[in-house]
Amino acid sequence: MIKKTLVTCFLFLTLFSFSQDQKHTNSFFQSFKNNLRTSYESNSQWYLNDSKFGDFEEEEHLRSTNFLRLDYSISNQFSAGLQLESYAPENLLNNSKLYDKDFGLATYYLRFATKKIDITLGYFYEQFGSGLILRSWEDRALGVNTAMRGARIIYYPSNSIKITTLYGKQRKGFDVSDGDIFGVDTEIDISSTFDILPSSNLVLGLSYVGKNESYLKSDESITSDIPKLVNAFSARLDYTNQNFYTNAEFIKKSKDLRLNNIIPNIVSFSESKTFKGNAISWTAGYSQKGFGVSYNFRRLENMRWFSERAQSNANNNPTNQLSVNYLPALSKQHDYTLANIYLYQSQPGLFIENYESPLIKAGEIGQFADVFYNIKKGSLLGGKYGTKINLNMSYWASLATDFSDPTGIPYFVSDNLTYETEFLNFKNKLYSDLNLEVRKKWSKHLKSIFTFINLYYNKSVLESKADNSTVRAWIGVADGVYKFGKGKSLRLELQHLSTNDDARNWMGGTLEYFFNSKFGVYVNDSYNYEDSKIDQDTKIHFFNLGGSYTNGATRFAINYGRQRGGLLCVGGICRPVSQNTGLTLNFITTF
Amino acid sequence: MFILNSAIMNKKKYLFILFLGLFTQAQSPLPSIELKTLSGQFINTNQIAQENQLMIISLWATWCVPCKNELDAVAEVYEDWVSETDVKYFAISIDDSRTSKRIKPMVDGKGWEFEILLDENSELKRAFGVSTVPYTVIVKNGLMVYKHTGYTPGYEDELYEQILKFSQ
Repeated sequence: MIKKTLVTCFLFLTLFSFSQDQKHTNSFFQSFKNNLRTSYESNSQWYLNDSKFGDFEEEEHLRSTNFLRLDYSISNQFSAGLQLESYAPENLLNNSKLYDKDFGLATYYLRFATKKIDITLGYFYEQFGSGLILRSWEDRALGVNTAMRGARIIYYPSNSIKITTLYGKQRKGFDVSDGDIFGVDTEIDISSTFDILPSSNLVLGLSYVGKNESYLKSDESITSDIPKLVNAFSARLDYTNQNFYTNAEFIKKSKDLRLNNIIPNIVSFSESKTFKGNAISWTAGYSQKGFGVSYNFRRLENMRWFSERAQSNANNNPTNQLSVNYLPALSKQHDYTLANIYLYQSQPGLFIENYESPLIKAGEIGQFADVFYNIKKGSLLGGKYGTKINLNMSYWASLATDFSDPTGIPYFVSDNLTYETEFLNFKNKLYSDLNLEVRKKWSKHLKSIFTFINLYYNKSVLESKADNSTVRAWIGVADGVYKFGKGKSLRLELQHLSTNDDARNWMGGTLEYFFNSKFGVYVNDSYNYEDSKIDQDTKIHFFNLGGSYTNGATRFAINYGRQRGGLLCVGGICRPVSQNTGLTLNFITTF
Repeated sequence: MFILNSAIMNKKKYLFILFLGLFTQAQSPLPSIELKTLSGQFINTNQIAQENQLMIISLWATWCVPCKNELDAVAEVYEDWVSETDVKYFAISIDDSRTSKRIKPMVDGKGWEFEILLDENSELKRAFGVSTVPYTVIVKNGLMVYKHTGYTPGYEDELYEQILKFSQ
């Protein structure tokens, strides 16, 4: 119904603008146009056969995904919008097959907003706190859209209190989830509401999120109580006092079923026992001009949560579609290709793997710290323009657990398994890294960035290999750009990854030239130059060349080359991708 | 109402709107979106547009190298920009919880002196219809008069020419 109303509304406005007489048409059309914001994005790939990898085996070689988004301000209070999407003839390689229409209406909304109240009907995106309890979002590069369809009301009783209530079903391709999501979030700026704590700022947030989804037992004789409604509660506090700040968030999630992955691709659940989840996150930092430091601690236990239980099977849903909350890996995010080979992926869920004795993955615990320092201009190390330094460290481990499985046998976990976790135990190390980044400007024309990374990656556990394989690696990157003026510039980037483990050493580089600020071309290559057991990477050039043209808010980019198989990470979310070779075209414009 | 039932007609209609738009340089009002300050207080884009006659909004993220290059470059000349044109620069971070804790130490560590605001769930980014950062918008009297996507070394000089044009 909402859908029809919105579409009618749009069509009516357009038709109306053409039915006016000429004199009025201009001014009406002008105002219509001024109140309409449009964006269009197109990503197309043409997969080619490869002399090294062999032929591309899927049927559709040429694929295109397209997004057209329209937002219209009807009046000062009312606005409406929609997003049309096209996946023709199907979604890009490695992206979710849920997005399966050649052309369709993906999202739409009608919004009424004043200073006091903000109501949205239709699809909306929302985040409570840091998203650990609830986040619906869109990332086109990853092919994720978890918008909710329903209603959201945000009410501001005063300038410093915000209350959000929502109900919805999550987007599932061009359909919506079976499960219903309810949520309430309150955010109170305590320092201004009660006029206390001058010179500092204290904000309290409280949330509730519920998911209602029925479950049909596979065996009626099981007497355990399987909850339809799974509840999560959270509390968070943000405190800032001039240069110092800290923030803490706690979440408790009620009992839910455990995924049973005896056969990885088949979704089934262990119905005898249900398990709770929880999360704790804490940050503290201090900063002043030229210096900043921050520390983060996070512990997640059984926090993977979906608006349809069946989607918790990671084999079938590697892109985390229909995820209720957002549980990204907290480690430094890199831009350089070789720094993106061994990347930590967060381990928030409960998975039990069947070996001789069961491997219980119940969650993760770890920490992350950053130091930023700006060496002053004119000093010995600072030179004429100053030097910017960033040191960053992270350490992550899986939760230490004890289990009891009275009816289990080697290689087969029973449905009666229960486990206990230790609260603070960092011994099951999964990943650690140390990153140093130095940015230095040498002259008006020349700038450089040097990056050093030392990392440890537990491949066996992170990629479920069960072979005790680990990777210790060093990565060095030198990146320099020379500006010739009038937008002309040349960038050279050299990379090396050194390790005796896994696929061994890599080298890589990029050369990029901008003819002016609009038009640029680049070539880059990554080459794994030592023999190793990883045949798919050994002595193959992952060579790419491409270019881009930008004019205002319009950008066109083209790339031809070979992509490495493995993990593709964008915005902290990683997913496995298969290697491919081909031509990629991107076009985006907004007006 | 038969139109509603025909996907093809709809498609044509939308494409037509798109087509018309291509030939026009619209000056839309800045969308009204709630952002946050670094200390966690709410602030609406309309409010900042009312308080600043000429301003630049630049979407960025701590993990985006071109964004940081742009902000570093702007930081070097920002004092001159302000004294010559009275422009105010708002660097609005789209970092989500993965990286948002790095914003404050990074901004202070780098000594950037323009305004920093947070768009924690990319509401403003979506309202702009953008999928990549950096993305820069010049806002004059509440209207978006100039938009640009991406950053190439030296682009800040072109941006300043635009600012000069709109500051008159």
